[in-house]
Order: sequence, then C-alpha cells, then structure tokens
Amino acid sequence: MEQYLELNYREMKDLVRQKLSIHVDIMDLLNKQIEKEAHSSSAYLAMASWCDHNALSNSADFFYEQAAEERDHMMKIFRYINDNGGTAYSPEVGGVNHDFKSLEEIFETALDQEISISKSIHNLVGKCRKVNDYTTEYFLQWFIGEQMEEEQTMRRALELFDLMGTEGLGLKLLDERIPQIRNKNAE
Amino acid sequence: MKVLHQSQFFISYQCDKQRCFFIKFPHKTIQLGFCQLLAFRQQVKEIDLEAHFNGQNTHGMEMLMLCNREHFFVFNTLESIDLKEFLTGTFAMLELNSLLTTSSV
Repeated sequence: MEQYLELNYREMKDLVRQKLSIHVDIMDLLNKQIEKEAHSSSAYLAMASWCDHNALSNSADFFYEQAAEERDHMMKIFRYINDNGGTAYSPEVGGVNHDFKSLEEIFETALDQEISISKSIHNLVGKCRKVNDYTTEYFLQWFIGEQMEEEQTMRRALELFDLMGTEGLGLKLLDERIPQIRNKNAE
Repeated sequence: MKVLHQSQFFISYQCDKQRCFFIKFPHKTIQLGFCQLLAFRQQVKEIDLEAHFNGQNTHGMEMLMLCNREHFFVFNTLESIDLKEFLTGTFAMLELNSLLTTSSV
C-alpha cells in the first residue's frame, strides 16, 4: 500500500467540498442551533400548559403557536443541513421548566429565550464570515429578521403588564389583548 | 490513495478515484463515504473521556458501530484519546486541502 501513498495535498481532490456545500464547523454549530430551537419549542409548550391550567386561554394559544413556530425554525435548519450534504442530528430535549410564578414571569422568560436565540444566530453569522461560508450566511439572514420580530412581540407583551397590571381583571383583560400583539407584527 | 493523517494507532487515507476515505485500524482497514466519515466523527466527538478517569466508565472501553452497523469497534482509553486527536487531525487536513484548492482557483 505504501508505494501508492503520496503526501502532495495540492494534487488531492477536494472531496469534502464535492459532498458538502457548508463548512464542517458551521454544520456543527447549526446542529447545536437545532438543539436550541427544539428546546425553545418545548419550553413554549410548557408555558402554554401553565397558561391553560390558569384559565389564560389566549396566552395558551399564543404559546402553542410559538412552540410550532420554533419547531418550524428547527426543521428549516434541519433540512438545510441535509439538503447541502451534511448530517442533521435529531435533538434530545431535557431540562424544560414547568414551574412559573406568574404570566409576567413567563413572558420575561420568553423574551430572555428569544434574546439568547438571537445571540446564537448572530454568533453563527460571525463564524460564517470567519470561515467564508457565504451560503450559510445568506441562509441565516431570514433568521435574523425573524428573531427581531420575535423579540418585538415579547417586548410588546411585557409592556402590556406595565399598562394593565398583573392581577385580577387587569390580567384577564391582558390575556384578551395577547392575540393582537402578534397580529400587529404581521401587518 | 493519499495519506490524510496518521496518529499513534490510526491512519486515514483519501481515495480520489473512488471518491471515498479509508481508515486503517490496528487490525483492519475500512472504507467510508463522506457521510459515514461525518457520522464517525460525530460518534467520536460524543466520547466522554472524563468518564474514563472519574469512575463513571469503570471498564474504560468505548464501543462504536460504523458504516450503518457494518463494523463494530471496541477501543480502550488510550485508543479513545488517540481517536479524538486522529479525527481532529484528519478534518484539519481536509480543511487545509480545501483551502489549497480554493486558493489555486
């Protein structure tokens, strides 16, 4: 076998590039992003469950929708990796918190979660630039816009607490206003 | 066939003609497609070396199945450490080759 061995890398085909359109390190980071989106989706489900149990049906619907949206984000990345020759790994989700003190705490947690996802996407874009993975950078542009909208939605919800209070009738009226915070963004 | 990287126990090769990779283990050599190489890398990344030293992995063994369960390997602690270095080195060489190919365009 030794007689066939050559150490001249210049003459070697770039098999990795032939098989994979994205950088290997970026593929790893995208797989980590899949885990984060999956965790986020499960966290929203837990929030929806809490709202359902506390007679806050509009907020529950809002978080059910959020959970579905996060899963859509996850699937978008999942398909992107596989479509470009990489291997996407189905994520394991653990450590989902089901205990909350109030609806306000839930929305604050949701905002923190969205900020964390935004930071993660920004880090990914930064890494793409470092390794010249322009394909993934282009792909991630949609997520940057999406995250901006998600953060705005959660912030708007928290502003409602300042306006209407966190207890009694105020809370009930606030729950009725929740479907509109998303619609306002969609317009 | 060209050598990509060699560690204490393992050697990786790239075969341009068959567009695949080979890995020489101490007792046999196996052929891998790129996806299989990626899957192997992922399995090796998930090896918890700390568990070999803090008593969690009492036997000090790692069992890996490669190429859609075609091959089964058992590695001891020394081989597991070497395997991590080996895969990092192999992918570093592949990246270096990509850079050289890109720069020559």
